Amino acid sequence: MFTERFLRHRRGVHLESEERARLEASISEIKTLPPRTNIVMAGDELSQSILLLEGFMSRYIDDRNGLRQLVAVHVPGDFVDLHAFPLKVLDHDVATMTAATVAIVPHSELEAITHDLPALTRKLWFSTLIDAAIHRAWLFRFGRLDAVGRVAHFISETNVRLMSAGLSDGRRFALGLIQSDLAEICGLTNVHINRVLRQLREERLCVFRSSLVEILEPAKLAARGQFDPAYLYIDLQSAESPSSRPRLNS
Amino acid sequence: MTEFSNTPQPQTKPGIASAEDGLVVLDGPDGVAVTMTADAAQKTGTSLISAAELAEKQVADNGFKNDI
Repeated sequence: MFTERFLRHRRGVHLESEERARLEASISEIKTLPPRTNIVMAGDELSQSILLLEGFMSRYIDDRNGLRQLVAVHVPGDFVDLHAFPLKVLDHDVATMTAATVAIVPHSELEAITHDLPALTRKLWFSTLIDAAIHRAWLFRFGRLDAVGRVAHFISETNVRLMSAGLSDGRRFALGLIQSDLAEICGLTNVHINRVLRQLREERLCVFRSSLVEILEPAKLAARGQFDPAYLYIDLQSAESPSSRPRLNS
Repeated sequence: MTEFSNTPQPQTKPGIASAEDGLVVLDGPDGVAVTMTADAAQKTGTSLISAAELAEKQVADNGFKNDI
């Protein structure tokens, strides 16, 4: 089932079997993509949206010197560019970060859903609102947090999102990103990221080994990044194992 | 009536600079996180000291109160 991770464990939202079947039927194609592949370019006219099944993808904007700022990272279960359905033209590029498997959903199918299934339409809308909530959290991260805080916030956020997708046990997850990806995500240089990762390791908060992340102290890491998972609208009770829930006040 | 301001305020705590792989990394205050070459860091430092001296003179001349 391709849509298994879509809106999984989201608070107050549950896909009914009829809705899930309709969403599955709306998929026109499954594609496997290599890492570092551009999928959508800003300004392209679009007639389909992408549901990410496996791997990591990003949305990004390059500055006039070609330096990249990632503005979103997508995990399995995300409808990466659902906002392209009403917008038709995006203001940013979309690319794979790792090898990825995606489901293609034509906009004509989404159009039909809006006519036939208003409840499912609201749930699709809900998923774009989650994206907006994540953007707000990223703005906070850049505006208020220092280097260690930014990385701590991103790792804590990714951990909870992957817990929701069933890809983290609350402490360990595979993150197929390289150091320069983290730099672009957190607006830091490679040297700075290197130092931050060392600091997190020395403070026994979090360890990166190859592409594996181990969070040694989830609550302390969350506190260091001022991370409060409320904005992800995830039902943590059902998504997590009891010992790993991030708590700001501990 | 007491008014509260949530806008960013002037920092009273200094940022911390350190050397890393032949570069200067500045952490804080607040959301500041920047890496500079040694030359850029030295020039920034000189500029900061000049501006700080001027700001102190402004306080002395005009009686500005930096009682944040």
